[in-house]
Amino acid sequence: MTEYKKNILVYLVAVIVLILIGFTALFIGSSYINPIDVVSYILSNNQISASTAIIISEIRLPRIILAFIVGAGLAVAGSVFQAIIRNPMVDPYIIGISAGAGTGVMVALFLGIEISVLNLSSIPVFAFIGAVSTVFIVYQLAKVGKKLPVLTFLLAGVAMSFILNSVMSFLMVLRTENLQQLVYWLMGSLAGSSWSDIQMVLPYFLAALAVIVFYLKDLNILLLGEESAAHLGLNVERTKIILLGSASLITASVVSVSGSIGFIGLVVPHITRMIIGPDHRKLIPLTALFGGGFLLVADTAARTIMAPMELPVGIITALAGGPYFIHLLRNKSKNIW
Amino acid sequence: MKIMLKTDNIKFSYNKTNIIKGIDLNIKKGSFVGIIGPNASGKSTLLKNISKTLTVDQGKVYLDKKVLNDYNSMELAKKMAVVPQNTEVNFNFNVYDIIMMGRHPYQKRWSGLKQEDKKIVKNIMELTDTLKLKNKLINELSGGERQRVIIARALAQDPDVLLLDEPTSNLDINYQGEIYGLLKHLNQKFNLTIITVSHDLNLTAQYCEELLLLKNGKIFAAGNAENVLTEKNIKKVYKAEVLIKINPISGKPFVTLIPEKNDKYKNQKNKDFKVHVIAGGGTAQKFLYKLDNEGYPLSIGVLNIGDADWQAAKELGIETVEAPPFIEITEKEINKNRKLIKKADLVILSDLPFGHGNLANLKILLEFPEKKKILFSNLNIEKRDYIKGKAAAIWNKIIIEDENVILLKEKDDLIKKINELENMEMER
Repeated sequence: MTEYKKNILVYLVAVIVLILIGFTALFIGSSYINPIDVVSYILSNNQISASTAIIISEIRLPRIILAFIVGAGLAVAGSVFQAIIRNPMVDPYIIGISAGAGTGVMVALFLGIEISVLNLSSIPVFAFIGAVSTVFIVYQLAKVGKKLPVLTFLLAGVAMSFILNSVMSFLMVLRTENLQQLVYWLMGSLAGSSWSDIQMVLPYFLAALAVIVFYLKDLNILLLGEESAAHLGLNVERTKIILLGSASLITASVVSVSGSIGFIGLVVPHITRMIIGPDHRKLIPLTALFGGGFLLVADTAARTIMAPMELPVGIITALAGGPYFIHLLRNKSKNIW
Repeated sequence: MKIMLKTDNIKFSYNKTNIIKGIDLNIKKGSFVGIIGPNASGKSTLLKNISKTLTVDQGKVYLDKKVLNDYNSMELAKKMAVVPQNTEVNFNFNVYDIIMMGRHPYQKRWSGLKQEDKKIVKNIMELTDTLKLKNKLINELSGGERQRVIIARALAQDPDVLLLDEPTSNLDINYQGEIYGLLKHLNQKFNLTIITVSHDLNLTAQYCEELLLLKNGKIFAAGNAENVLTEKNIKKVYKAEVLIKINPISGKPFVTLIPEKNDKYKNQKNKDFKVHVIAGGGTAQKFLYKLDNEGYPLSIGVLNIGDADWQAAKELGIETVEAPPFIEITEKEINKNRKLIKKADLVILSDLPFGHGNLANLKILLEFPEKKKILFSNLNIEKRDYIKGKAAAIWNKIIIEDENVILLKEKDDLIKKINELENMEMER
């Protein structure tokens, strides 16, 4: 029972900290808003100026919510990929799925859809097509007979990632008019987020998340290894395909608004696993909270530290996550799970 | 008796290499079968074929009268559980969670833990002695403990058949016995059908009721351990010279590799100084190994078949004159012994006891007064004489009349003495 209590405590603390972070992110930024004003806005007191109200409701609030969705999505997708591949070095960014989604978006733009069309919900569809095609290609490349060895999967993913990044760079050079925006998007940025972005992402995100939640127990069984999982009555190939598809869809939906933000899908599931253990029924909700919180902090830093200029948040997450990845590589201890 | 698992001329190939070349199995409910065979004989592949991990190319596998491929994965998991060769789990679930996963085929997706599942898992943990490990993380366990947990998980599936691939390959000897002891208990108490694959001939022979010896994807021999583990079979299948002894406690055959004949890289320092040993009753066992190790060409006779010295001589591959036990040595055997003594540069008579049966072994020395002989005086001849002074009389005659006798008090001095004699011989 003590473990049960501990888990409840962990969740409680996570939620409280997240609310505090969210609240803080509302009042800091390129223009400082008095926290009292924020409180009174939340309590629907109209004693604040119209411009402050707009900053809060139309700029910061959607951005905070979107940062949370993107961070949570990447972390959940990362956990799922890590469980399916049974390797903690896996992340949507590393195995090329982010690049695939990004390429899908770039192709859509190149085919004549204006950058402002980013607000339309067809973009995640392109991203999803890109992501799923990438997963499919990587899967086919990596397959040896009927099996999917981890090593070939990683290598195929890294190779695809390189190729797709070049494709994106090439498309970018061809369309120079929106270069800065594209570069920012490519590096991963939540600048200019609006409610319509959230509207665009949310249906895909929730649909994929629902599927993953449905399969949480199967994810645990998959961790035992594919052979053992099959002996325990799991239809391994079908489960893998469904889960890879859902995790790709989550990745695609968030990449279509944020670009490729690296390392969240790697680092956050890891740290969460250290705290709560490998059972996905407990892990996935917490990793979503942590991922959302982490990206929220990183994004708030990205728009604050060099204000009024904005940094692409991908730079910050990569600076934080890269060294952690190296640390993992160097420290191949058995307890990385 | 009910047939639990049956295969019908199954064949399987991997990358165009035929691995299983037509195997028929009829495994009865409640049997404990051990599949053995050299590397690449197809034993692990066979196990994968009957566990549906690899689907056969030809032929059919029947589990409880139903074709294996007609089972869906959930149904199959309720009938058959598998303990794979690699049980390494590289993530840190606790033991209880791991064992509970064995209940997966019985659980609905959204139902919580049922009371029934909890009860079954608790019983199994008691049975496999894993209850005390309940809250430990899987990576904190020793190899033997982890194997017990994985077996417990398989048992939680409540299977009719349990398959194990090399269940003890990475375990110390104490855990090996423990795991097989557990399997035997499960087999006997719950009539669980168990099939193991192992490269350990002796463990398999000790615990499994039926053995299946594979060679090149086919069954070479099947049956109980006594019939399968014969020197002839092992020579044909493994190309190794072995000695089959009987384990005195279990009465099961026990395979020992004969080092001399198999060791191609042994230092070939064969000396040009032939030694013939007359022994029996295990009196020469120890120094035979030492002499062999020193590189002296050895011969020995006349020994009773089954005698401890005889076994040592067989293991070392020494030229032996052998005779059936409990009857007097015949003229034919004495003759063979005589020939060997003639060829030898030195004869050693160990401190063996004499009776009617082997008196000829002592008498023969009288025929060779010119040969160098080593005898031992550590045990009084009267105490070793079981034929009322006859042996003592001959012994005393040799000691007194023969000038080439060297009498040693300690067996430990033997090697040194022989080295001396050898050097004298060389100088001459």
